[in-house]
Amino acid sequence: MSKRIKIAIYSGIVPSTTFIERLSRGLAATGSQVFIFGLKKGSVPSLPNSTYITYSNKLSKLLLLIRYTFLLFLIKPKEKRKLDKIISRSKKRQLVLRLKYYPVLYHCPDVFHLQWAKSIEDWIWVQQFGMKLIISLRGAHINYSPLADSKIAKTYKALFPKVDGFHAVSKAISLEAMKYNAALHKINVVYSGLELEKMPFQLKIVEVNTPLKILSIGRAHWKKGYTYALNSAYFLKVAGVNFQYTIVGVGTDEELIYHRSQLELENEVLFLEKLSFEEVIVSIRQADVLLLPSVEEGIANVVLEAMALGTLVISTNCGGMNEVIVDNENGFLVPIRNAEAMASALKRISELPLPTYQKIATSARNTIEDQHNHKRMIVEMLDLYQKVLITEQ
Amino acid sequence: MRIGLVLPSPPAYSETFFTNKIKGLEAHGHTVVVFVNNSKKGTFNTTKCKVAPKLSGSLLTVGSISIFTLVYSLVFHFNKSKRLFLLDREDGLGVIQRIKNVIGNSHIIAEPLDWLHFGFGTMVFNRENVAKAIGAKMAVSFRGFDIGVYPLKNPGCYLRLWDKVNKIHVISNDIRALLYTHGYNGKAEIIKITPAIDTFYFKKEDCQLPSVKNSFITVARLHWKKGLEYTLEAFALLKKEGIDFHYTIIGEGEEYERLKFAVYQLDLLDYITFTGKIKHEKIKDELNNSNIYIQYSIQEGFCNAVLEAQAMGKLCIVSDAEGLSENILDNETGWVVPKYAPNMLAERIQKVIELDSEHKKRIAHNAQRRVREKFNIENQQKKFVDFYT
Repeated sequence: MSKRIKIAIYSGIVPSTTFIERLSRGLAATGSQVFIFGLKKGSVPSLPNSTYITYSNKLSKLLLLIRYTFLLFLIKPKEKRKLDKIISRSKKRQLVLRLKYYPVLYHCPDVFHLQWAKSIEDWIWVQQFGMKLIISLRGAHINYSPLADSKIAKTYKALFPKVDGFHAVSKAISLEAMKYNAALHKINVVYSGLELEKMPFQLKIVEVNTPLKILSIGRAHWKKGYTYALNSAYFLKVAGVNFQYTIVGVGTDEELIYHRSQLELENEVLFLEKLSFEEVIVSIRQADVLLLPSVEEGIANVVLEAMALGTLVISTNCGGMNEVIVDNENGFLVPIRNAEAMASALKRISELPLPTYQKIATSARNTIEDQHNHKRMIVEMLDLYQKVLITEQ
Repeated sequence: MRIGLVLPSPPAYSETFFTNKIKGLEAHGHTVVVFVNNSKKGTFNTTKCKVAPKLSGSLLTVGSISIFTLVYSLVFHFNKSKRLFLLDREDGLGVIQRIKNVIGNSHIIAEPLDWLHFGFGTMVFNRENVAKAIGAKMAVSFRGFDIGVYPLKNPGCYLRLWDKVNKIHVISNDIRALLYTHGYNGKAEIIKITPAIDTFYFKKEDCQLPSVKNSFITVARLHWKKGLEYTLEAFALLKKEGIDFHYTIIGEGEEYERLKFAVYQLDLLDYITFTGKIKHEKIKDELNNSNIYIQYSIQEGFCNAVLEAQAMGKLCIVSDAEGLSENILDNETGWVVPKYAPNMLAERIQKVIELDSEHKKRIAHNAQRRVREKFNIENQQKKFVDFYT
């Protein structure tokens, strides 16, 4: 396909998550034209092949709305009328919808890649104007929101068959999405890719007689399973293992503070606020082991980062984590909701001979280089886009 | 006697602790004035209720309400306001905070009172000197969250209180013990008055036997404190053992998604029902239709639901969180299991199921009798009348 593909990456907020930002940058670098729409919440980079259409305060929203109303009126009047009809049928605020929809209709990308499945109802209309709708299948949107809210499940079941293509962050999540009528042949698993040149591997040299430095990273949310991790820290303490456990990103969460105090782990467990990406890298390098105690994940990026940097990982076997980690080879897998198993894996790492530690760490880096590199992610994502565009012809 | 009671909002019908306490005091000829921060869900209307000045919203609203309130207090209650201002100064508060306190407490300052009683520890902040300023005695109730959880996040939050309070009310022995870990200096007298229930309303009724043999129930807000995730994990273990059961959770709350996901992940979809919030009378029906009540909380002041279940003749299995081990006497009126240990809970449930019916009857009977004797409203009301003398 020689024509440059026009791709919209839509998450609603600019800049978006690390993964989505990396994806946009990577696609633009291949020569595709990338459009990013949404509410501006931070500084927006200016990159070749990338167009940012953003708004922030009331005035900028108004100006953007006027501009695109005018442009559509002049250049695509028929399409505008059709879209206005669609908007008028919605119960949501008409002005907000116009603000969100008009720029998309005007630029009319070949592919509209929606990052959050829950917004599917808001964006299914793009297909009526020749755009292909791709939806990412990730985390909460697939794994538990539709379980707790039957309305979401119903919407998915009705609309997933209409979607042109799905990007799944793991094989495990594809299986979950198929329960809501996502067809297997429309799903491409594209793993998250890291910019590995920015993350050089370092073989660890273990310091003797220092406490085992355990690290977890991620916000205070039940799906992160920190209560299990705290219980495992308690078992570790009882077993006489010398350790320091730091959880980054939870700040002063009430449940966790209470739990820590009940288990009398104030001296062993430290809670920190969210850190910047650079600080996260430093803290991973300083840790002996990265612990992912989650009950639910797509594939946790922080695990990929630790594996790339040379820090051993213990992860629960949730979501797609077993697609990255092979137990005992490039890391350690433990069953979900099982503090005892977590504690014994931690204890094992504390007793690991240095050569074994290094061997597993090296194997982890190889997995990431092979399966989770940035280049591969971009190529596979482009494959997905091209697949849906070819189907059309 | 005139007693002021400081609460977040007027007690709703279901908050029997306060409604009963107020009724009891009024029946003994005392006057009760309730002070609240907001008046949204007020349903209890026999008592005088005063709302704190609303100090949120636009700058203009807050500014004008503040100025009006301040001028009003200075004109009509100059001495009390001045005293509060000076007492706060002795505590080292800044001028702005002191002025704020005069404004924010103007509704209390305006009332002549013999006792000022804070219904929860957390209601006391920036009001530590109000009782003294108006010449009243000061009482504070501690009920669970306010002493078990809040000070962990806000260390030292009660340090200004201990020297000023005259009497402290706690609802269980565990909570009494917790006071010492947060700086209580032994000065003020601590009096324990446990919650109580209407033992006429909650009594054993002749009902048809539950349709499912092992039918379990919990009435609780869906909140992490209630330990429902651990309870579900215990039931997953029971399922693995091949035990047939059904478990009903009555209540709504922020953790619904978490619990629903746990049910799905633990493969318990056919075994668990979430009813959501249901009416008081319906709760009684649901209790009648089950045989074992579970309250495997992580943090719990005392728990009225457990008292109600006992009064209705249900077997109760609870955790050892704070007041629960006083609410249920292990092996006598039910069973107490250490918290955070789903395997131990599962084991206990299995043992209880296997008990012979005589043993079950005996425990249920003990529980019922103890609740009727020790946790009835008349008892509680009398203790509160004594509290203020």
